[in-house]
Amino acid sequence: MHSLRIADRSPTPCSPRRFRHQVPLHLLQFPQSRLRPRIQVVPLHLLQFPQSRGFDLEFKLADDPKIALQRYGRYLYDALILFCPSVERFGGSIDLAAIIDFFDSGHDLIIAADSNASDLIREVGNECGVEFDEDPLAVVIDHISYAVSETEGDHTLIASDDLIKSDVILGSKRIVAPILFRGIGHSLNPANNWYVLKVLSASPSAYSANPKSKLSTPPTLIGSAISLVSIVQARNNARILITGSLSMFNNRFFRSGVQKAGSQTKHEKSGNEQFLTEISKWVFHERGHLKAVNVKHHKVGETDEPALYRINDELEYSVEIYEWSGTSWEPYVANDVQVQFYMMSPYVLKTMSHDKKGLFSTSFKVPDVYGVFQFKVEYQKLGYTSLSLSKQIPVRPYKHNEYERFIPAAYPYYGAAFSMMAGFFIFSFVHLYSK
Amino acid sequence: MAREKSSKDNAQALFHSLRSAYAATPVNLKIIDLYVGFAVFTALIQVVYMATVGSFPFNSFLSGVLSCVGTAVLAVCLRIQVNKEFKDLPPERAFADFVLCNLVLHLVIMNFLG
Repeated sequence: MHSLRIADRSPTPCSPRRFRHQVPLHLLQFPQSRLRPRIQVVPLHLLQFPQSRGFDLEFKLADDPKIALQRYGRYLYDALILFCPSVERFGGSIDLAAIIDFFDSGHDLIIAADSNASDLIREVGNECGVEFDEDPLAVVIDHISYAVSETEGDHTLIASDDLIKSDVILGSKRIVAPILFRGIGHSLNPANNWYVLKVLSASPSAYSANPKSKLSTPPTLIGSAISLVSIVQARNNARILITGSLSMFNNRFFRSGVQKAGSQTKHEKSGNEQFLTEISKWVFHERGHLKAVNVKHHKVGETDEPALYRINDELEYSVEIYEWSGTSWEPYVANDVQVQFYMMSPYVLKTMSHDKKGLFSTSFKVPDVYGVFQFKVEYQKLGYTSLSLSKQIPVRPYKHNEYERFIPAAYPYYGAAFSMMAGFFIFSFVHLYSK
Repeated sequence: MAREKSSKDNAQALFHSLRSAYAATPVNLKIIDLYVGFAVFTALIQVVYMATVGSFPFNSFLSGVLSCVGTAVLAVCLRIQVNKEFKDLPPERAFADFVLCNLVLHLVIMNFLG
């Protein structure tokens, strides 16, 4: 998966972003005459949320010849939503390479595939680290946790509640109702364990196959390895949401009740709206986006930053970490931010304590080794942007006059030398003045 | 048997003659001998201390031991030269040499003590 190129960028204090979204709509792929009213409502419900959250949205057809992500080298949008699962070629100047460059430069992406996903969308998914099922007619089928309904009987509409446990990604309020899903499943490349995560997985009884034909061989994608909704947080902190069902986003699913087969509880409203709203907040950096500023270090008792330290000095290190709340920078509260005093390996590793206003600080003693050290903060927590700070500082040994003046272990020798002097003095008097 | 008894008698006779000869030495020489004994004793104490505690400020150890040994050596030189049977130089000159050498010795010791 070469495309998520490693852009190791230390966080710079960023200003609040006005999000401008470009949405090639799934429905508008069809020529105007074949618009079906039902689908017309598909994306609008979700996208009202971003609008009410202060984003500027732009809707475009997938094959509009004038669409472009950048002009004269500058990107026109902050995020891209692709709700066009069966597009073969984009119009304008967008192609697979342009989309890859878009998220390599730190911008966010939402991709929805569906049961007629084109090769292009599958390739975009591959570049993001997920693999859709190769069979173009396969959908996710679950005969045990499907959603009970009067009309559809082939168990392709599944109700899933196997969510990732993360308050920062899904919000602090628990999603009670299961989430309705109808579409294709994907699996994750295990080499990217840290960057690509399953947010909503299928139950262990699910499998991916064509519902209309008989199964000749056992399906390749089965059970909880099938991911229904995945997220990617890249090293440059771009966030991507990938899902295999476009109908997850539509009004009908948002408003309908859901009852999971085999359970008695019938929920009035499916969990789709809450789930997608919360996860879109995460994707658009309204939650879990950290910045670290004001790295300061000084000797205990002083305030200015010295150019170098001496071994066995007591020093204090502090950094301010803030989290973007969608409207402003709030102080970040956590108990697991650590600082390392590092030279080839960490000599000191300490957890920093915070004062609830975002100031993390700790103090420690410089180790008894001299050389060029770094203050390193490497913070990687699930769902949060990664912080990677490092500040170089040399450490010197004692100067010749910084040792203790009189060594207690040598007092007998001092005493002996002085007693010899005294003895010589007394003896010379005795020798001179005795007969 | 007689030889052993005579060798033991010889040792005793030797010891007695040494004691009586020493008792006959002049008082000032005995004072110098006392001074030498004091210096050597101090040196021994320091060596025992270093053997137990360790030689951490080795320069201080060397300086202390050297001051004791140097003092003893200079005192022995003085004793030789002050003896009435020594005709090469007058005892006043011997004493002047002794004082000068001791001054130099103590200067070096103070510098090396650390």
